[in-house]
Parts: sequence; structure tokens; C-alpha cells
Amino acid sequence: MNRRVVITGVGMVSPLGVGKNNFSQKLFKGDSGICPITSFDTSRFPSTLGAQVTDFSPADFISRKNLRKMDRLSRLAAASARMAIDDSGVNMDSINMDRMGIILGTAYGSTDVSVQYAGILFDEGPRLVSPSLVPNSVMNAPAGHTSIELKFRGINSTVNHHEASAETAIAYAAAEINRGSADIMLTGGTEIISEFFFEVLSRFNALSPLNGGPEEARPFDIMRNGFIVGEGAGILFLESMEHAETRGAAPYCEIVGWGMSAYPSPPTDWPSNPKGPVLAITRALESAKINPDEIDYICASANGGKKLDILEAEALSSVFATEGKRPFISSIKGAVGESFSSGGIRAAAMAISIKEKIIPPTLGLKNPIKPLQFVLNEFKEAEVKFGMVNGFSSGGTFVSIILRAL
Amino acid sequence: MEEERIVITGLGTINSIANSVPEFNEALHKGVCGIGPVTVFDTADFRTSTGGEVKGLNHKDIFPFEFSIKRMSRSDIMAMLATLEAFKDAGLFPVPDALLEDTGVVIGGGAGGMLECEEAYRYYHTGMNKRVRFSSFSSLCCASSSDHIASSLSLMGPKTTFMTACSSGATAVGYASDLIRNKMAEVIIAGGTEPLSRITYSSFNALKVVDKEYCKPFDKNRQGISLGEGAGIMILESLSHAQERGARIYGEVLGYGVSCDSHHMTAPDPEASGAIRCMNSALQDAGVHHTLVDYINAHGTATPANDLMETIGIKKVFGQNAYKIPVSSTKSMIGHTLGATGAIEGVVSVLSIAYRFIPPTIHMSAPDPECDLDYVTEGSRKADVSIVLSNSFAFGGNNTSVVFGRFTEKGLINE
Repeated sequence: MNRRVVITGVGMVSPLGVGKNNFSQKLFKGDSGICPITSFDTSRFPSTLGAQVTDFSPADFISRKNLRKMDRLSRLAAASARMAIDDSGVNMDSINMDRMGIILGTAYGSTDVSVQYAGILFDEGPRLVSPSLVPNSVMNAPAGHTSIELKFRGINSTVNHHEASAETAIAYAAAEINRGSADIMLTGGTEIISEFFFEVLSRFNALSPLNGGPEEARPFDIMRNGFIVGEGAGILFLESMEHAETRGAAPYCEIVGWGMSAYPSPPTDWPSNPKGPVLAITRALESAKINPDEIDYICASANGGKKLDILEAEALSSVFATEGKRPFISSIKGAVGESFSSGGIRAAAMAISIKEKIIPPTLGLKNPIKPLQFVLNEFKEAEVKFGMVNGFSSGGTFVSIILRAL
Repeated sequence: MEEERIVITGLGTINSIANSVPEFNEALHKGVCGIGPVTVFDTADFRTSTGGEVKGLNHKDIFPFEFSIKRMSRSDIMAMLATLEAFKDAGLFPVPDALLEDTGVVIGGGAGGMLECEEAYRYYHTGMNKRVRFSSFSSLCCASSSDHIASSLSLMGPKTTFMTACSSGATAVGYASDLIRNKMAEVIIAGGTEPLSRITYSSFNALKVVDKEYCKPFDKNRQGISLGEGAGIMILESLSHAQERGARIYGEVLGYGVSCDSHHMTAPDPEASGAIRCMNSALQDAGVHHTLVDYINAHGTATPANDLMETIGIKKVFGQNAYKIPVSSTKSMIGHTLGATGAIEGVVSVLSIAYRFIPPTIHMSAPDPECDLDYVTEGSRKADVSIVLSNSFAFGGNNTSVVFGRFTEKGLINE
């Protein structure tokens, strides 16, 4: 089997708003989803900002019966999945539910539930742990809840790779349609900000303002001083080209290739050698059977972190031309923060860019670290025939996905 | 172009009845029970106190000195031990330089570094933030094991980690075979790892699915699972690569299937529809007619619900033939190792093909009239096993079945 895979729907609950229209309006206008964190007191931390999801009413998207059983992480995913299905225009009564599945990425799962769980376990003892707490403490809960809510019965899986969790999931989901084991796959990522997770990131010296300066997300900027943590879910509705054509759907774009690699790295840290990301990018280009100069736009992984951004900039400089025909590059993490499983939201943004012929800006980028063709703080109208989404993660895991206009 | 075949050229494991594959093979033949008192943490306040704990975790003498073990969790250490054994077994250690870019890692996990993080969670919750060792969280997520393996061995192929609870290890083996088939790698370290931890232990106790004594799969008086820990790793390789280097071939990954119950987060679908679709899709992917299966390595957790559901599912898939196929649950010996279970049972499946035997289901004393298949309760059995179906069914309704086969040049010939 070697079937073509298209994206026919997107759904998201993001710091820039709920649903495709709210999200893309703000994204291309250059609005930021970053603001002071309100869900807990940040006064004891050096950092105070986050890209939070606000104005989200899960009951608009999820049945009451299932909503009661879901924690926030699963709600973000299930609501996004519902929106992706609606966006695809598919009639759920007419499809074979055994041939529809989900592969989700989540990096850290429900960190708030884990803290609550450990609290009961250690304060009150194991006999007082409620069985109702258990299902949401596992990382595959969002995919499980979503399948129960939306009643599909095909492949169901969850992958876990720090900042590249969702990109890994998307590559796997596309491969499953490609090999013929599913007709429709929901895929993407979901992640939440919890006070506990915020403290862990703070202790790992990951958050802006590391080493002083104003607190801000500045992907690829020489003044960058750490990332701003984000949250949210983004889900793509993938289907085989054949399935989309049969039902007369109008796809956003096609997924034509992907590449994955690893490179030795200290745990949760970054390698300094760009060979890992270079391998992922070149493998993706080979798998799409295109040359570097055919890529029009790169949705970069850079988040304002000291090491990731220079690593990615070096990799891009070595694969792509720095003069003449060369790709536009932007990172929307300046607007939506680093939510680890942001790949779903970012791939959805790429699908919209390809369809609408518009490239989102990189908020916070004023003085680029390399002379690449960055899209700074204003959107750019441009035809994107081939777009690349990068998902690079600490610990040395690299994924690049190539999408093509139809 | 002919599709690439995927063969198994190395095996590694650590679990409650063995610290290596030869020990495991012997223990499986003998029907050894590894379930006993848990000592990695104090079980005094828990409803139960037994489990399949790994004994004598002796990594310091085995790891090359250049491996940094400082930030490895128990889960990472077990995965690394099994990986080293499997790589040596495959004749690929140290990994040749020319192979580094074409070697990937796909690991299934469960609790990851939870055992090490529990202390930190505890202090955090009680507001004693100064005593929290935040560095322990670097190994919390399951991706930590694949990160450590790839970094320590300088691998540059694809790297992925699955977390689908009890089917993680099986999904990892299946997906790894896809990556080789799609020419994304020549060699992949595929498997799973799982530690015992208080959080996991209390979860299963809260759900009241743990047997206080030891698990008794398919028995009339079965009370639930025994939790276990361990790691299972297999070296998967493209057939062309394995033959080119003259590798010894244990067997072949013929195919796999994944499905979802879409029924309940912690209870299986009593009608087994998810399990049936999963087994059928694995057999179809493998191109194997169900009459050719010689042995089913069951999920067989020993919960009242699972074993009945699985028996119903097997009967639906295999029809009258179901009564002729030996079905055993090796969880009766090592306990339920959750994220590692599909991988360790993959090792069992491959050993049963390589050493032509069927491991037993131990602890069975009272037959259940509703579970009436051949569960191999009299001890291990000699058998000319060519094709094995290995089942893993998880919380969240995640099901994965993998089909392993004896390697022959000509491949499968269906009747």
C-alpha cells in the first residue's frame, strides 16, 4: 500500500482562541497569546508569563456524560477533535468507525492530576486513592476519552517525546493511512500548564527571563533569554486522498513526506552539533522527493531558548540556500508559547498558510541570529507550494514534516 | 519492488524470573514464579503486598564506563540492560560506525521515572519545596529511556516513545517494523520498560484489580493481576541487512494490528469487539490465515473481566479451531509489566519459535467453565511452533496484537 494522505480538517483550543477562525485571525494579525499567568500565583517564581487557554467552554463541544470523566488535558484534545471533524465536513454517520483512529502526542500528561494523586497517596494513604482519579493519571487518557466521545474504533495510540511529541504523532498517523491500516486519523497534541509543571521548568532554567532582561518569547533573536510556556491542543483530520475524493472534500494540503532522527544529547538538554536536525530535514526532503529549493516556508521549532534556536538556525543554514530562492521562516511560538505538544497547532497553522497563501509572523524577533529569510513581526502574503514543519526536542529527537499545496 | 521483510536478530530482557534471555528461556521452560513480596517500597499501607520485582539489578558492572547513569531511573536502567544484551546477542555491540545513522529506537513505556519522582511529588505537595529534587523529573516521562539509549549508543535513526499503558511495548515493536519497512531505518531497538512504583501500585489497588496472593490467569478463582516490572528488547533488522552481515535470525515480525474499544477507560468491552478487530487486523497485516497460528501468547492478566473477554475474542477469531490452539499467559510467572509487557511477551513468542516450546500458564487449579481453551497448565510443552499471535490489551481501550513467525527463505505459504 502506498496511499496519499491529505489534511481535510483542523481544530484547536489555543492561547490565540478556540477554533480555526479565532485562531487564524489573531495569528496572522500578529496578536500574542502570551500574558501574565492567572491560574496560579507566580510571585515566587522569576517568571510570570504564559500562553494560557482562556474563554474555553468544553461543554460546547463535549457531551455532558463524558465531560464529567475528563480532566482539562483530555477536554482540550476532545474539543479540538470535535472541531477538526466539523471542519472536515465529514458525516460521521456515513463512515466506517473501525477505519478511523487517533494518534496523539503529549509530553508530560496531566501534571496537575499527578500532584493531586501523589498528595492523597502520601497524606491519606493508598487506601484512600479514589479509582476515579486513575484514568486521567495516564498519558493515553486524552486519546482514550476522545475515542469514547466520538465513537471511532480504529488505531489508537499516544506518543511521548518532549517538544516533538505531536510531530512524532502526526508522522505516525500519516504512515498508518499510507500503509492502508486506516482511512481517517485524528492526530496532533495536547498539553496543559500547571503550577507544578511551571516550577519544574523554572528549576530547569528553561523559562524567560533566564539571565535577566525583559521576560518575552523571542524565537531566533540574539536577545532571547528562554521560552514562555504555553498550553493548548491542536488536532488535524487526516484521510486518504481516495477517501477525501470519494466524499468530495476539499483538502487544505497533502502530507508528502517526513523524516526523523536522533542525536546524542544530555538528558533534557540539547546537542550543539546540528547534524541531528539536518538528518531529519534531509530525510524529510528525500521522502517527499523534492530539493531544498522547493520549500517555500518553514514553520520552525525555535521557541526563544538559548540552545534550540541556534541549533535550528545552523541546521537551516546548512540545508537551505541563504541567497536567491530560499524559504521564508517563522516560528509561531512567539505567539502561542512553547507548549511541548504544540505540533498539532503548528501543523494546523501551516495547513491554513498553504490554503490561504499567507505566512504568520514571528513575534518577538527583531535581530535574527543568522541571515535567514525570517518573517518578522508582520505576516507575509506568499504562495506556499511546499511547507515544512519542524519538531525538535530536547534529549535529541528531531522530526520534520513536509506538506504540499494541492 | 518486493516489500522488505523484518527479522529479529537479538533479544534482551530483565524481569522477575530472569536477568538475561538464557535465564528467561530456562525459567519459562520450568514454569518459575517470580511473584513475591515487593521490597522496592514499603507496602505496609497497601491492600496488597506482592508483585513481580526484579532481583539483583546489577547494572554498574555491565554498563560501559562512558555511560552516564547519574540521571537514569530504574526504568531507564532496565531498558538499557536489556538493550545491551540484545545488541551483544545480535553481534552489533559496539555498534559499527557505518550503522549509527540507520539505527533507531522505539520504546514503549508506562510509569517511566515515577518511582524516583514520587518523593519529589510528596515534598512538593506538602509545601516543602526546598526538599524537592527537581532533577529527578528529568527522567519522569517515558521518552527518557529512548533518549538515554540513543544518546549512550550515539544512534541517529528515528526515535519514538509510546505510552499506551499495557499495550505500549507491543505497539513499539509493530511501529518499529513499519519504520524498517518504509526504509526509514535498517536496524531498530524495539521494546518496552516498566518499573514498580507506588503510584502505579496504588492505582491498580484502587481499581480493586490486584490479587493479594499471585495472579491466576484463566482460573475460576482469579482475583486480578500481580504487578510486575522489567524490560524486553528486540533488535529488528531488515532481512537484506541481516543476511548481508550473516546475522543469526531468531524469527520474523509478520505483522501487527491496533484497535480501540471506544468503550470504557478502565474496563474491557465484554463483547471483545476491540480485541477481535485487533487480532483480525494483525492476522490480515501478516497475511496469515488463522488456522496457521500455533500458539497464542495471551494478554491473560487474570482479572475476571479480561480473561473472559479474551477467551470470547479468541473463539470469535479462531472459531472451532480455538480449542486446538495452545493459549498461555506468561504473566502468571512474571506478573503484569504494563508498558513492558508486550515487549517481554514478544521475547517469549520469539523464544517459543526458536526453542520449539510453549511456556505454561502456572497457578491454575480450578478450571473456569467459561474459560475453556487449552491454557497449557500442565507445564511447558514441546511443540513445533512456527507462528505466534501475541496479544496486549490496555486501559484506555488500546489493543495491539503482533504476529511473529519462524524465518524461512521462501516466507509464508498459506494453504
